[in-house]
Amino acid sequence: MSTTTESAAGAAPDAAPAKTGPGAHPPAGRRNRGKRQPVAVQHMAGWLFSTPFLVLFAVFMALPIVATLVMSFTDFGLRNVTDPLSAEFIGLENYTKLFGDEKFLKALFNTAYFVVVGVPLTVGLGLGVAVLLNNGIDRARTFFRVGFYAPVVTSIVAIAVVWRFVLDPSDGLIAGLASEVGLTSPDFLGSEALAMPSLIVMAVWRNLGTVMVLFIAGLQAIPPDVREAARLDGASTWQEFRRITVPLLRPTMLYTTVITTIGYLNVFEEPFVMTQGGPSDSTLTVSLAMYREGFNFFHMGYASAMAYVLFVVIMAITVLQLRLLKDNTK
Amino acid sequence: MHPTARTASVAVALTMAAGLTGCGSSGGAGVAADKKQTLTVWAMGAEGEKLAEVAKVYEDANPHITVKVTPVGWDVAHQKLVSAAAAGTLPDMTQMGSSYMGEFAELGVLEPVDTKTFKKDAFFPAAWEQGVADGEVYGVPWYVETRVLYYRTDLAKKAGISKPPTNWAELQQAATAYQDKAGTQWGLHLQSSGLDAVQSFSPFLYSAGGSIVADGKATMDSPEAVKALKEYATYFEKGLSNKSFQPGYEVLTDFNSGDVPMFYSGPWTMAGINDNYPDLKGKWAIAKVPADQVSASMAGGSSLVVSKDSEHKEAAKEFLSYLTDTEGQKDWFKRSGDLPANISAWDSGELADDANFKIFREQMETAQPWPVEPQWTEISSKADEAISQVTQGKASAEDAAKKAQSAIEGLVK
Repeated sequence: MSTTTESAAGAAPDAAPAKTGPGAHPPAGRRNRGKRQPVAVQHMAGWLFSTPFLVLFAVFMALPIVATLVMSFTDFGLRNVTDPLSAEFIGLENYTKLFGDEKFLKALFNTAYFVVVGVPLTVGLGLGVAVLLNNGIDRARTFFRVGFYAPVVTSIVAIAVVWRFVLDPSDGLIAGLASEVGLTSPDFLGSEALAMPSLIVMAVWRNLGTVMVLFIAGLQAIPPDVREAARLDGASTWQEFRRITVPLLRPTMLYTTVITTIGYLNVFEEPFVMTQGGPSDSTLTVSLAMYREGFNFFHMGYASAMAYVLFVVIMAITVLQLRLLKDNTK
Repeated sequence: MHPTARTASVAVALTMAAGLTGCGSSGGAGVAADKKQTLTVWAMGAEGEKLAEVAKVYEDANPHITVKVTPVGWDVAHQKLVSAAAAGTLPDMTQMGSSYMGEFAELGVLEPVDTKTFKKDAFFPAAWEQGVADGEVYGVPWYVETRVLYYRTDLAKKAGISKPPTNWAELQQAATAYQDKAGTQWGLHLQSSGLDAVQSFSPFLYSAGGSIVADGKATMDSPEAVKALKEYATYFEKGLSNKSFQPGYEVLTDFNSGDVPMFYSGPWTMAGINDNYPDLKGKWAIAKVPADQVSASMAGGSSLVVSKDSEHKEAAKEFLSYLTDTEGQKDWFKRSGDLPANISAWDSGELADDANFKIFREQMETAQPWPVEPQWTEISSKADEAISQVTQGKASAEDAAKKAQSAIEGLVK
C-alpha cells in the first residue's frame, strides 16, 4: 500500500498547484514571506480536515501497534486481562523463546514455503491471464474477467465449502473424475506432503483475480504506438512480449509482487478454514500460530512477539523487493 | 482484519477497559430480589434462542423482573466473554461451557454459588464438578451431555453381530466384522488428529481409568492413559478407522451411506439422525461405551454463573433456581432437547421411559468431566498432539505420552 500513497503524495505538488493539503507546501514566494499568518491558517485547515482520519488511525492503528510492541516484552497472559498493569517486563525472553520453539520455526518454514511457491505462481499466472484477456480472447471477454475475479469477492467460508468438496478424497470432484478414468485420488488435505500445495493452489485461484485486474490496467496503459513501432521493426509476438510488454509493466509488476508477498506472508484464512494447521502442523502458518497463542491460549505477550517478528520479516522483504525491482530506466 | 492488528486492538481494548473498571462498579449490597429490575443474561448458540422463550414465561409469573437474554454465537463467545470480563461489563448471568470455567474462575469475575440453595447431590456428579474450581463452586449445572456408541443394527446383522459390544475386545471384533462381513469401509469412526481429537479419545481414556489431569497434577503418562492410547492406535494400524481427518467432517453422511457403522457422539445426534436421515429409522441403536476397567465416557454441558460485579445477584439467584429445579429442567428438556443436569428431572416422563435416554442416564452417572483448569485449552491441545503422533505412527504411545506429560506439567498450577 505504501507505494501508491507515496507516489500519489509525491506527484501531487507537480500535478496540481492546489495548496490545501497538509503535505502541499506553497513555494516560498515573496507574498508568503511577508505574511506568515495565512500559511499557519492553511496548515490548520489541512490538519482539521485530516482529523477524522488521524483520530481513527491513532486509536485503532497506532495505539494498538505500540501496545503490541510493549506487550511483546511482557508476560501478558490471562491473569492480566482484568489487571493489565501487573504484567511483568521480561525483556527479550519472548523473542529468545520463539527461536527455540519448534512450532514457531515450523510455522516460519511453512509460511516461507507458501510465499516462495505461491507468489511467483500468482503473479505469473495473473500476467498470463491478463495478456490473454487483453488481446488474445475477443469473445466472452467480460465472462472470463468476471470468472477470474469472482473468487476475490467471494467469502472465504463459501470458498472453503467448495474446495472441501473439490478436494474430498472419497466423493469429491477430483476423486470423482479420477475414478472415472480408473485412478484413485490422493487424500489432498489429509496428507502432510500434499496439504500445503493444495492450499497454495487454492490461494492462487483466489488471488489471481486481483493480480489480473492490475495487469490489465497496466497493459492498457502501454501506448499502442510503441507496439506498432516494434511490429514494424519485425518483432515477433514473443519478442514484443519480452521487450515491450514486460519492461513497460514493470511498475505494475513491482506493485503486484509486493502486495501479493505481503498478503501471502500473512496467510491465515486458508489454513484456518481448511486444515486448522494440520495434519501434524504441516499447514501451520505464522499468523495461525499467532492466533492460537493469543486467542486460544491467551499468551498475549508471546503472540505479540510473534507478530513483531512477522512484521520485521515483512518489512525486510518489502524493502528488498522495492530495491531489486525498482525501475532503473528513469 | 489482519491477526496482528486484531491482537493489538484486543490488547488495547483490554488496557483501556482496565482503566475504566477502576471507576465503575462501586460495590454495594445490590438490589433486592423483589424490587423492579432488569436481569441481563447471555446464552450461547441454540440455547440463547430458546432461553428467551423461558424468560418470557418467567416474566409473566414475576412481573417485576425483566429478563433480557442476549444470544451469543459459540464462535465469538469466548472472545466476547474475555473482553466483557476485562471491561467489567459481564451480564448478571452467563451460560458457561465447562472448558471456560477454570479460566473465568481464575479471573475472579464469578460469584461463588450459595451451596445451601443449590445442593450438590441434586445434580450428576460430573455436572457439578464442571462448576468447581479450586474447591470453590462457581457454576450451577444447567444441562449435560455425554458420548455413547451409535451403531448400525441392519449392518450388524449382516456382520453377524447379535448384541452391542460391551468391552474393548468386543468393540474391536465388531469393527472388524463390520468391515469384513458387512463390507463397510471403516469399522469405527475415531478422530485421528486435529483440534479436539481428545474428545474422541475420551471414551477409551476414561474407560481405562486414566485421565489427563487429576487433582491438579498431570497424569498423561500414567499406565492407564498409555494403555488407552495404545488401544486407540490399534484402530488406525489395522485400518479400522480413517487415519486422515479433515476439519468439518460430518460423520452422519458416512453413517447413512454405511461407510462408517459405529461412532461415538452425544445426545444431539439422535435428533440429527431422525431429522436428516429419516430412512435410517429402525436401522440404528445406541449402547453404553464399551468398557475396559469401567464403562466411562466424557461429560460436557453448560453451567450458569453469576457475575461478581452484578447488582442483581438476588434476582439472578431466583431465576437460576427456576431454571435448575426439577420442573424448570423438565421444561428446558422439552424446549431444547438438552439433557437435564438435575437428576430428579429424569424420574418421570420420556426421560425415564425411553430406552435411549436410560442409556444416557447410566452413562452420565459414570461420566467424567474435563478438569477445570485455567489453561485447559492449551492442555487439551497437548493431548491432541500426542494422539495425532500415535495415530500417525510417528511416536510410540509411551513416547508421545511422556512428551505431552512434560508439556502439561508446565501448564497445571
